[in-house]
Amino acid sequence: MTTLLSTREQTRARYPDEEGYAERDGVRVFWERYGEGEPTILLPPTWEIVHSRFWKCQIPYLARHTRVVTFDPRGNGRSDRPRDFDAYRRREFAADALAVLDAAGVDRAVAVTWCDMGESLILAAEHPERVAGLVLIGPPVSVYEREEEDYPFDSEPGTDEGWAKETHGYWLRDWPGYLEFFFSQCFTEPHSTKQVEDCVGWAMDTEMETILAGFRGWGTKQIDPAEVAALCPRVRCPVLVIHGTEDAQVDASVGADLAGELGGRLVLLEGAGHAPQGRDPVKVNTLVAEFAGLGGDGVAAPAPATRTWTRALRRPKRALYLSSPIGLGHARRDVAIARELRRQVPGLEIDWLAQDPVTRVLEAEGERIHPASAWLANESAHIESEAAEHDLHAFQAIRRMDEILIANFMVFHDVVREQPYDLWIGDEAWELDYYLHENPEEKRAAYVWLTDFVGWLPMPDGGEREAFLTADYNAEMIEHIGRFPRLRDRAVFVGNPGDIVPDRFGPGLPPIREWVEGHYDFAGYVTGFDPASLGDRAELRRRLGYRPDEQVCVVTVGGSGVGGHLLRRVIAAYPEARRLVPGLRMVVVAGPRIDPASLPAHDGLEVHAYVHGLYQHLAACDLAVVQGGLTTCMELAAAGRPFLYFPLAHHFEQNFHVAHRLRQYNAGRRMDFATATPEVIAAAVAAEIGRRVHYRPVETDGATKAASLIAELL
Amino acid sequence: MTLTTTAREQTRAIHPDQQGSIERDGVRVSWERYGSGEPALLLLPAWSIIHSRQWKAQIPYLARHYRVVTFDGRGNGRSDRPSVAEAYDDAEYVADAAAVLDATGTERAVLVGLSRGGRWAVELAAARPERVLGAVLIDPAIAFLAPPHPWWTYPFDEQLDTDEGWAKWNRHYWLRDYRGFVEFFASEVFPEPHSTKQIEDMVGWGLETTAETLVLTQLGSQPASREEMEAILGRVRCPVLVVHGDDDRLRPLAIGAAVAELTGGALVAIEGGGHCPQARHPVKVNLLIREFVESLGGTAR
Repeated sequence: MTTLLSTREQTRARYPDEEGYAERDGVRVFWERYGEGEPTILLPPTWEIVHSRFWKCQIPYLARHTRVVTFDPRGNGRSDRPRDFDAYRRREFAADALAVLDAAGVDRAVAVTWCDMGESLILAAEHPERVAGLVLIGPPVSVYEREEEDYPFDSEPGTDEGWAKETHGYWLRDWPGYLEFFFSQCFTEPHSTKQVEDCVGWAMDTEMETILAGFRGWGTKQIDPAEVAALCPRVRCPVLVIHGTEDAQVDASVGADLAGELGGRLVLLEGAGHAPQGRDPVKVNTLVAEFAGLGGDGVAAPAPATRTWTRALRRPKRALYLSSPIGLGHARRDVAIARELRRQVPGLEIDWLAQDPVTRVLEAEGERIHPASAWLANESAHIESEAAEHDLHAFQAIRRMDEILIANFMVFHDVVREQPYDLWIGDEAWELDYYLHENPEEKRAAYVWLTDFVGWLPMPDGGEREAFLTADYNAEMIEHIGRFPRLRDRAVFVGNPGDIVPDRFGPGLPPIREWVEGHYDFAGYVTGFDPASLGDRAELRRRLGYRPDEQVCVVTVGGSGVGGHLLRRVIAAYPEARRLVPGLRMVVVAGPRIDPASLPAHDGLEVHAYVHGLYQHLAACDLAVVQGGLTTCMELAAAGRPFLYFPLAHHFEQNFHVAHRLRQYNAGRRMDFATATPEVIAAAVAAEIGRRVHYRPVETDGATKAASLIAELL
Repeated sequence: MTLTTTAREQTRAIHPDQQGSIERDGVRVSWERYGSGEPALLLLPAWSIIHSRQWKAQIPYLARHYRVVTFDGRGNGRSDRPSVAEAYDDAEYVADAAAVLDATGTERAVLVGLSRGGRWAVELAAARPERVLGAVLIDPAIAFLAPPHPWWTYPFDEQLDTDEGWAKWNRHYWLRDYRGFVEFFASEVFPEPHSTKQIEDMVGWGLETTAETLVLTQLGSQPASREEMEAILGRVRCPVLVVHGDDDRLRPLAIGAAVAELTGGALVAIEGGGHCPQARHPVKVNLLIREFVESLGGTAR
């Protein structure tokens, strides 16, 4: 059977080390295994409305500590889809779990379940030798009779309101409408758009007919109270029940009663809904790790036999620097700030939690990269996978990075539990800022947030939905800051108030500039280098091997692999440009993530891979052709060189924030990739190359200012 | 340096829920019980230069979670000060510990021992495994496992022509200037800067007993060879956590490391810590004890 996933699966933070099928009575169930170690954690499915991806926030973290096995329910994901009711009884699910444990070679596991309809009770009671512990998240089963539904599944309520949607007739009329409703009842917390979308997407990975085959109402979906009552006393393993007090699907009293019946511990998550593993993943991850006894003091590996704790006054001052890993944009400025910070705070040690390609810059600069960096899931690769031809929907790409963000936050979380730091610095480290505000009790050091833009902005063609989503993200951020104003000890805007876009955060939300001026300090722009230090331009050209009579055009697309299409388009313009500009020398820098050999070759055209100190070439050139990324454009503005920039389509930051800032400096000529044929580009090159420009000077003391703001915390 | 100590005990954060004493061969040993949670923790005495108040920074915290039993080692506190050396054999302290467990109705306990108390904990765990859930050994005073510090060279029994430094580790000096010894010793126990209060406490407790009594404790018998000590450590079956300062001027960190290795236990080194981290770094030690006790439960509880 072929299963077509309705939407392309987003990049995972981690992929399975092993996968396979367990087959019972001709029904194949797909399982995955991640990581190694004991105890094994089994993450079984709930009913077939979703599949194993609903554990996406747990798998990368838990698998870093131990072996994790998950599987898709019969009826969804990559498992088979029988169409008879009996195939979906809970005993079948329990038997599937056993078959998966067998297939994966697991003797015994801690089962962590969500909305378990009885199968894990069967498993733990009847196969105690296979279950070392049981975590029940939002369990609906009870020893008490269920209240009758207001609308029995086969009834015709005469309304489509609320739970009337959970009827046979409505399903046939508007299946997606039911799913939207159903999952909105799973995630009652504000700002849960992504979690609802995910679940609806997973539900759409199977067919309504399959769900219908296994569903006749909740009374028969889960095991009955008599069976629960009979099984509970037979469950001998330790039990932890986690239940949200705002669970709109299953009242928290059900979980509390079940914990009582099982003699287990109960953790209530106040204000949480039915699926905290998706909405409060940090909390659920740490609860599961604690229950399963993973990793001692929260360390990344099993607790080492020897640990050292250093008396407070014996510790050197230490900062942990998280540099935004998308492309190379922030690496240079962060290195400049770090260097200045060490000058201002003698003895300061800085560790970097960073990933490729930022680590290439850090290595070249001799910076200290924390070994846990190796555990980070790569954001650049994800962004590249989200990009089309010179088109990157930056907002959606970051939204669809939620699994990577939580995985990387948990790496950070492990690092700072193991090693005390005086200060954490996050330069657009979204995972750090977001999950700290979601879990403020995890703050253990002074914390500085740096950014060069504030505000998610919708692209016009995203319509109402995107306008709603961006406003919702902004609203959550504003609420975070409003509720926990001391969490960011400093918020530093890399730029000036004039650089802030004139927009609002959204309908009913404040103007961005006004709000930022009230909540940020301004460092001015941080180029990461002083143009004056490059000395005489003629001398610089000589040093870089550019002759005085050459017209040098440098083409670069930053550090991510997104820019390949632009490079090819500009290379295609090269013959015409060379005809228009005698002596034109075009230098193409592919960057660390694009293979230079994949680009076409021309006489007189040079293609380089990564070039360290690229800013020197930008300062020496006669023209640059670049993407709309802030760092490169501002390096050119600072160097006073003419340049053409092509914002990526649908990239709100490049189209709005960066373009607005460049207008402040009167810098660069904006181009539109969609209409820029090679001829258009060649003509623009000819018009701009060597032109005298009149830019507003870019400040050169940004790193010093930023470091001064940070140093006060040390 | 002159230290003033007041005889009156300072206000406690909590007082025992129950106290009593056991008597063995005419020697009375006083115990206290705080709290009632599970499991029970037995906080052993150390050398009789101090008594059960050494745990004052642990008891209030641990007793909120667990049942905590302490007792004054024979030779100090409210326990008797027998006048013969044999009464201070290791075996007597270990037997006292077992008797206190019996008297307090404690079937099994996690042992927490500092310095000599760490050695007695090991001996009790080896001899009575059915009574011991786990052992936290803080800067354990276990000989032979690592070379002693170079300054630990003066003969204890001989008359010396100097009183400088570790020459004070000498019975004649103790009898001549007991206070001088206790002050010196306490200052070596706490090499961490800003330890005045901890030093004062120790001197105060030290002055509650006498030089004569401490001399007798030195004459009691204890394991006499590396082989004997390793055999005892090899019999320890329970989980072990060793906490040891890397600036311990009495017992080098290498001892703690060897104890952890020989018992298959974990080691937490306290960088910059001296011989008594439970007094100087109480938060860290409290949390380590708690974490250790919780780890004994885990999913198996």
